[in-house]
Amino acid sequence: MSDETWGQFKSFESAVLEAFDDKVTEEVSHLIGGQDLRACFQCTKCSAGCPVSDKVNVQVHELMRMLVLGLKEALQTDMVWLCTTCYTCQERCPQGIHITDIIFGLKNMAFRRGIAPPGYLAARKGLYETGRLYEPSDWEREELELDEVPEFDIGEVQKMFDQTGLMRLEEDE
Amino acid sequence: MAQQYEVFLGCAIPARFNNYESSMRAVAEALGIELLDFEGASCCGTVVLKSIDETSWLAMSGRNIALAESRGHDIVTPCNGCFGSLKDVYHILSESEDHRDVINKVLSTIGLEFKGVSRVRHFVEVLYDMRETIREKIVRRLDGLRIAFHPGCHLIRPSTVTGFDDPELPRKVDELLELTGAESIYWPLKLRCCGSPLLIASEDVARRILQEKMQSARDSGANCVVTNCPACHTQFDVQAIDLTGPDGEPLGLPALFVTQVLGLAMGLDPERLGLDLNRVSLDPIAEILGI
Repeated sequence: MSDETWGQFKSFESAVLEAFDDKVTEEVSHLIGGQDLRACFQCTKCSAGCPVSDKVNVQVHELMRMLVLGLKEALQTDMVWLCTTCYTCQERCPQGIHITDIIFGLKNMAFRRGIAPPGYLAARKGLYETGRLYEPSDWEREELELDEVPEFDIGEVQKMFDQTGLMRLEEDE
Repeated sequence: MAQQYEVFLGCAIPARFNNYESSMRAVAEALGIELLDFEGASCCGTVVLKSIDETSWLAMSGRNIALAESRGHDIVTPCNGCFGSLKDVYHILSESEDHRDVINKVLSTIGLEFKGVSRVRHFVEVLYDMRETIREKIVRRLDGLRIAFHPGCHLIRPSTVTGFDDPELPRKVDELLELTGAESIYWPLKLRCCGSPLLIASEDVARRILQEKMQSARDSGANCVVTNCPACHTQFDVQAIDLTGPDGEPLGLPALFVTQVLGLAMGLDPERLGLDLNRVSLDPIAEILGI
């Protein structure tokens, strides 16, 4: 996985960007929530309410512009993985664009291309192996006289993930 | 008729905030809400799995919903992350035939089917419906408690999916909290995300968001923060320990769950409400809470 970092205001200044790659815009518009992507008219209301606008190198309205312009570098911007998923932009977008949902789809695309914070790789492994993100703290439960957390068959979960291909998402270059 | 739900705990509550579960169960018992065990529940996948692979996430939450449906029960969860995830999947699988077909094909291999007949509710929604009963059960007023209530994102947004309260001016849980005599104060950053989902990507950015939130709560005169979500609570009651501002001043505030506040006012046993397990010291408000 990459040694990328997020939130360090990495600059795109010397990068040569190839615009109008129609495949990029097309792929994004087919994501869950991507159908109205092209309706963005850059009012910047999304960025005005975004909790990380002052903490990223490319703000959410700029990210939307990059997508409409077909810039595949959109996947490398801070905004993708530093989106908190708070849905404020989506709630307020006057064009009804499902901005946060689109960013979820971009995360999927970035993950498949090997651009993701390492914590997500560990989380995928944990979800596949245990079906949980965290394990119960038994001593606390005993102290509060809580019953054991109900059990489940991890085999069922793995059977599903084997079909969805969770552990084989990475794409070849 | 008594209300009955299978209770979806998720991972964060049994791992870190058993006091939330315990206080929820105490309040539910006092109100006659029956909470059934959710046999076979896995993680909901939450925004973590949704970020990695949406199809796997749809299958994971879809399986949980289908389990409750196979037993003919509605679902209640005290976690915004689980609520948001289950509601979102429910919404997508109900609206999109394509996604439903894909996921039901996967679910059929483990003998399940998503039908979209069970309801998914947040525990505070159930409480809000019972506000008149709660009002009658208040025996101990919490006058002087100045709450910075943090609703969290996935309880109210996207409103087309969650369908609970006004996404820009939520008042329902505040109304519940004020039944106790406490004041739910206005604070400018109330609706701002707590930053918790970023702990996995960048602890530094998550901390900066929390600093802004806590500064806003303090400047507005709050003497505690209240949440209805274990993910948000991780910020306020774990990450906020030792959190300081630009001049080294401490920023943390006592952090309580909605169910602990209501439970205290309903005269329930503080031990059962798990107040001993709150990490940021409750000393500054101990007198008001009567503990």
